[in-house]
Amino acid sequence: MKIYNNKKMAFFFLLPALVLLIVFVYYPIIQNFVMSLYKWKAFEDTRVFVGFEYYKRLWNDSVFWLALGNNFLYALISIVFQVGLGLVFAAILEQKFFRRFQPFFRTVFFIPSVISMTVVGLMFQLIYHPSIGLLNQFLRTIGLDNLTHAWLGEKATAMFSIIAVSQWQSIGYIMLLFLVAIQKIPADLYESADIAGASSLQKFRFITVPMVKETIVMCMIITLIGGFQVFDEVYVMTAGGPGRSTEVLASYLYRAGFRNDEMGLASTIASVIFLLTFTMTLIQLLLSNRKEEA
Amino acid sequence: MNKIFGKPLQLLIALVLVVSLLAGCATEQPKKTEKTEAAQDKEKAENKETEAEKAEKKEEAEPEKKADKTDKEENVELYFLHKWPNPEYIGYFQDVVDKYMEEHPNIKINMEAAGDEPIKDKLKIVMGSDKQPDVFFSWSGEFAKNYIRSGNALDLTPYMDADSEWKDGFMQAGLEPFTYEGKNYGVPYRINGKFFVYNKELFEKSGVKAPETWKEFMETCEKLKADGVDPIGLGNIYPWAACHYITGLNQKCVPQEVREKDYLASSGEYTDEGYIRALNYFKELNDKGYFQAGVNSTEHNMSLEMFYGGKVGMVYIELEEFADVEEKMPGNWGFFDMPAIEGEPGNQNFLTGAPDGFMVSAKSKHPDEAVDFLKFLTNKENSIDMVNALGWPSPVIGAVTTDNSIQGLVDGLDAVAQAEGMALWLDTDIDIRISDVYLPALQELLNGDKTAEEVMQEVQEIAKTVREESSK
Repeated sequence: MKIYNNKKMAFFFLLPALVLLIVFVYYPIIQNFVMSLYKWKAFEDTRVFVGFEYYKRLWNDSVFWLALGNNFLYALISIVFQVGLGLVFAAILEQKFFRRFQPFFRTVFFIPSVISMTVVGLMFQLIYHPSIGLLNQFLRTIGLDNLTHAWLGEKATAMFSIIAVSQWQSIGYIMLLFLVAIQKIPADLYESADIAGASSLQKFRFITVPMVKETIVMCMIITLIGGFQVFDEVYVMTAGGPGRSTEVLASYLYRAGFRNDEMGLASTIASVIFLLTFTMTLIQLLLSNRKEEA
Repeated sequence: MNKIFGKPLQLLIALVLVVSLLAGCATEQPKKTEKTEAAQDKEKAENKETEAEKAEKKEEAEPEKKADKTDKEENVELYFLHKWPNPEYIGYFQDVVDKYMEEHPNIKINMEAAGDEPIKDKLKIVMGSDKQPDVFFSWSGEFAKNYIRSGNALDLTPYMDADSEWKDGFMQAGLEPFTYEGKNYGVPYRINGKFFVYNKELFEKSGVKAPETWKEFMETCEKLKADGVDPIGLGNIYPWAACHYITGLNQKCVPQEVREKDYLASSGEYTDEGYIRALNYFKELNDKGYFQAGVNSTEHNMSLEMFYGGKVGMVYIELEEFADVEEKMPGNWGFFDMPAIEGEPGNQNFLTGAPDGFMVSAKSKHPDEAVDFLKFLTNKENSIDMVNALGWPSPVIGAVTTDNSIQGLVDGLDAVAQAEGMALWLDTDIDIRISDVYLPALQELLNGDKTAEEVMQEVQEIAKTVREESSK
């Protein structure tokens, strides 16, 4: 069975995948960085080298910081609600009492994440509408008139309204991942906890959470990166408005590149997004590894 | 085992794997081309490239001869890109294309359509490649000029001069926005004007009629509001809607020559007080409650539904939407142009609107055939068919008549023909980086987050950057 020990041979078999990765992932990343150093248009041949001009411009650009802030807000809220609540929901559904209804709730929670974002976005445009929307009408019916807002039309509420839609849509997906993870926990752990007289909360805290730690880290990475890649939600519901208040990095990139034809600026934003997500993933992975070793 | 998997064999297996992978990539291409016509076109263009290059060199030497030679012998493929993939429209275009191909058996037209928003991006991408569409859709104004200035649009002047019947068949207001430095680069396909369309029943109930001046307009709104009707429906979640108001108001409030100078990237300053007044006229409509609540979270189509449902008294819409209005509320609507504002220095007899149409790529390998197809598309017979089938306002003189259109469209086009000129949509008429600041700021103006002065200050700042860059 020498073939399984032959390390050089392994490289040969890895080569096809490696070639594909290099051509379609790594080369474009490098190319994108190079492009961010030029001022260029999509349909003109001339390219002017400007060095780090666009990076400087971004640094002084209030819209960029606003967009970055929105992305952080997005990621943060998503982690709290999707990962946090998703785990709690999963744990509840795994409770003995709920297990009978689990398929029903699982489906109910999961359905939103199979609906296309465009459909969801348009639907929520209607739900959020100030006069004919469900939300405001509901608030008026129960007498909370002073809480009604033009949800997507006001600076203060627009970003949160969009983020809320995302939570509604994605929580079921994360919950499903946790359900699978929880089901893998050996039942005897819970049994011995029962014998020792542990409460449900204690079982959750001391058995469930530590046992699904890896899934938690993975889900956090998924939602964090998702928070920095968010585009559809914003583009469909507000296109960055009112004003620029719901601009996120991806919509800013789109605007710069495909609308304003400042491809250099768009490449710069893309590089920044890549650097941010890459660093954060690295940090998270390192942190979780270190804990494991300790 | 060791014997069987000797080193040479191991190498061989790896090699086979790599090669088969590459081969897999290669054979995939022809499969794809079967799927989409456009891709097929690109593919063939690629194969022909070397031939075409040779031919091109010859052409340079003897440009005159080439036209008659290639026409009859060679099979020609044209790539036609437009912006109406909607099922209710695309059928018509397929018919015209089929009809043309029937008459010209040696020409094959590969048609592709991308929607209103996607085409803005798609055009940018394909125009940067060497697979440029031979005939492509374009808005007029700055959008078209972008392609003209970068040398991507074919100068159609010689073709138009050679066929004056074709040229003179268009309304002047349709051709003019496609000209650059005195040359024609585009052919208008639709001509659009912006009008206030009102609900006759609601107007009668409140005892008002179509206003002629801005003062009357405000009084009309006030009366409607007093009767419990939201006077105007505005869907400004995407701020082009407000931008169309500002297009007209700028035109009326800013002296013509100042505005023309400002709208050019190389000389835009936007320091005239008229711009601020224009914003304030608009804001006043909102502050007095003449728009329905929540303008910035209402989509344009939602505002239309409100209008059809009798919830709002008027909407500010385009000529091409008239057919829909007639369908939804037959006979119960009228329209008027944005009223003149007393004492403002701009030209009051301009109409907000613009043509859109087609251009021919300067890199087209078959410019003569492309122009010929364009002529076919816009000849009177086909224009009448188009109006019949789609109800669009055609800029071809005599194409829209009461025989094939609703009265409203005929009257609307009359108004276009009578206007002294057209104020092109602001967002397609000025440099896109300026409109990218101007438009979102309109939402903030309505929300009260910014004053008119603050908006214009931002516009002035970006205009300065653009000015400096374009003079470099």
